Amino acid sequence: MKFRNKALFSFIAVLAVLSIASVTQAAPPVGFDDNEIRIGQWGPQTGPAAPWGSVARGSKLLFDIVNEEGGIHGRKIKYFIRDDMYNPAQTAAVVKELVERQGIFAFVGGVGSATGMAVKDYLAANKILWIGPAAADKDFAFPVDPYLFAVYPLYKDEGSILTKYIVDKLKMKKIGILYQNDAYGKDGLEGVKDRLATYKMSLVAEIPVEPTEKDLASQILRLKNSGAEAVLMYLTPTPAVIALKTAATVGFKPQWVSSNTLSDYPLMFKITGGLWEGVITGAFGEIPDSMNPLMVKYREAAKRLTPEERWGIFYSAGIVFADPIVEALKKVGRNLSTEAVMKALNSFKNYQTIGPKITWTEKQHQGTDSVLIQKCGPGASYITLQDWTTNDLATWKK
Amino acid sequence: MPVGQLLVEGLAIGACYGLFATAVVIIYKTSEVVNFAQGEMAMFSSFVAFHILSVYQLPFWAAFVITMIFSILLGILIEYFFLRPAKHPSILGLIVITLGAEMFLMGLAGWKWGAEQKFFSLPLDPSLTYEPVKGMIINNWAIAVFAVTTCIMLLLYVFFKYTRLGVAMRATQQNKHAAKIMGIRTERVLSFAWGSSSLIGAIAGMFFASRATLDPAFMMEPFLRAFAAAVLGGLMSIPGVIIGGGLMGLIENFFGYYWPQWKPIIAFIVIILVLCLRPSGLFTKHFVKKV
Repeated sequence: MKFRNKALFSFIAVLAVLSIASVTQAAPPVGFDDNEIRIGQWGPQTGPAAPWGSVARGSKLLFDIVNEEGGIHGRKIKYFIRDDMYNPAQTAAVVKELVERQGIFAFVGGVGSATGMAVKDYLAANKILWIGPAAADKDFAFPVDPYLFAVYPLYKDEGSILTKYIVDKLKMKKIGILYQNDAYGKDGLEGVKDRLATYKMSLVAEIPVEPTEKDLASQILRLKNSGAEAVLMYLTPTPAVIALKTAATVGFKPQWVSSNTLSDYPLMFKITGGLWEGVITGAFGEIPDSMNPLMVKYREAAKRLTPEERWGIFYSAGIVFADPIVEALKKVGRNLSTEAVMKALNSFKNYQTIGPKITWTEKQHQGTDSVLIQKCGPGASYITLQDWTTNDLATWKK
Repeated sequence: MPVGQLLVEGLAIGACYGLFATAVVIIYKTSEVVNFAQGEMAMFSSFVAFHILSVYQLPFWAAFVITMIFSILLGILIEYFFLRPAKHPSILGLIVITLGAEMFLMGLAGWKWGAEQKFFSLPLDPSLTYEPVKGMIINNWAIAVFAVTTCIMLLLYVFFKYTRLGVAMRATQQNKHAAKIMGIRTERVLSFAWGSSSLIGAIAGMFFASRATLDPAFMMEPFLRAFAAAVLGGLMSIPGVIIGGGLMGLIENFFGYYWPQWKPIIAFIVIILVLCLRPSGLFTKHFVKKV
């Protein structure tokens, strides 16, 4: 009898554990309660891409300001940053941990295409919002994932806008390009070619570069021999530095024009030993010393709350990526749900803070095609050459 | 096609590969170990030079001398603490240890100096160029690489040919046990090899850093190319690796001019061909180890 009781008790205990486990597996903890909303972001805080880690810390500044001002409809934002070391396997692990242990309402930012792609389907399957991936991957917005809202302008759109500027404003006809031999570089190249086709022009030199290459002499000589007056760059910082240094030693002085990925002028100016002065770049955020009232507010808050951080473009980009969720949460009110926030996000029309104007609909989750055009001035200063410009050739808008 | 300019650029980067490959060969010649930490040893020494220049603000030549002393000590210490304690080591085991040392140095540099790229420059004005023949612009960096590589080659030639230590190193490589019996202190020979290899590697590392940027991973690619140049020239021959480096630089630059997308791999294709036809490289004799 005693044995039977024991067996029955064990059976019930096992059933109870299994049913709790299955419940846990079926639904991760809800991402909010009466007092807080839990928001997360992954980003490289260590490892080779650590300089981009400031994006996640920039978002923190915005949430700290929101909390300081009393939160949103009585709820404070609890923000989690996880270091994925720019490693997709690590991203998957930290995101799973946050979702299943902490309970996350939404993710914002998240540096990297491959890292984002590693968790995109997982987040959608768990119905977790993801706003403003910090990469311009087409796959984030096309086809539409109802839970994913992209902010970053596509490299293709930027390439088209920059080329229009070179031809129309700089009056240069011979254009060459150095592009990284991957999706990033090829998207930029596509935009450049699309724009040139409208002028019935073509590139005088089109040169792919592997991100690890340390000698670009033959590529630079090819550009020099092509007679290129302007050279576009869709590169990472080190190949860009090598290109500029090599060009200086062979007497090649074109107008360098680069994607927004190299718009951290203080860094680029420093690591090129000043050669970055005069380089024109795209940008998707206001210049660091902008007098835009919101920029002034954030800059002052950064000085007060995070004096150890450099107020640079990657740091303020963290705010650009996090701004929409704050706005949507404010719109929704006290009766919070994922569906309600999605509805609010889908009704964004020309919403703008310190980044480009964002418009989302149920059928369109690429928020913008606008970039600013800036130039590196003396001492790594920022000079705005052209205000927010959209790409009239963007096919996805039609 | 700017033949003259491609020649200059190809030979300059090739001399740099060759110089770094010499560092790889010195260790290989004495112990038959391919040191995979070679790139990171050079990276670490370059960071030390950067640290002295930027934090202590010493003049370049003082920083250079201190870095050279540091690099010698680094080589000796890595051999002493990482390789020497290995019990009954096989060549493969030692190579794996050098891989561990590589990761250790990269992690240490990342922790100390961070992952962000740093600016490193030699006291050479990059905009100062010479045009001895029309269409052949030579810059200061290339002149410095040619001069330093030539000096180091001459010193190594004299060292291996005419000094007792140089002969002892050759003897250790040919037969470690026989060398020991003849009274050669092979441990000291190994320390010397690691120290001098680290020194030459550090010089090449500084050349590479001044052409690109300084970060914990910046020597991975140059190491691969230098190693390939060493294989091309023959891992046992120092003049061979210099010629191998030069050939590699020329092939890459001439080929890369017309087909830039193939530039990163063309040299490796050539090396596979060389290894198929002459397994021990272009400038060394094929030898069969007796059992």
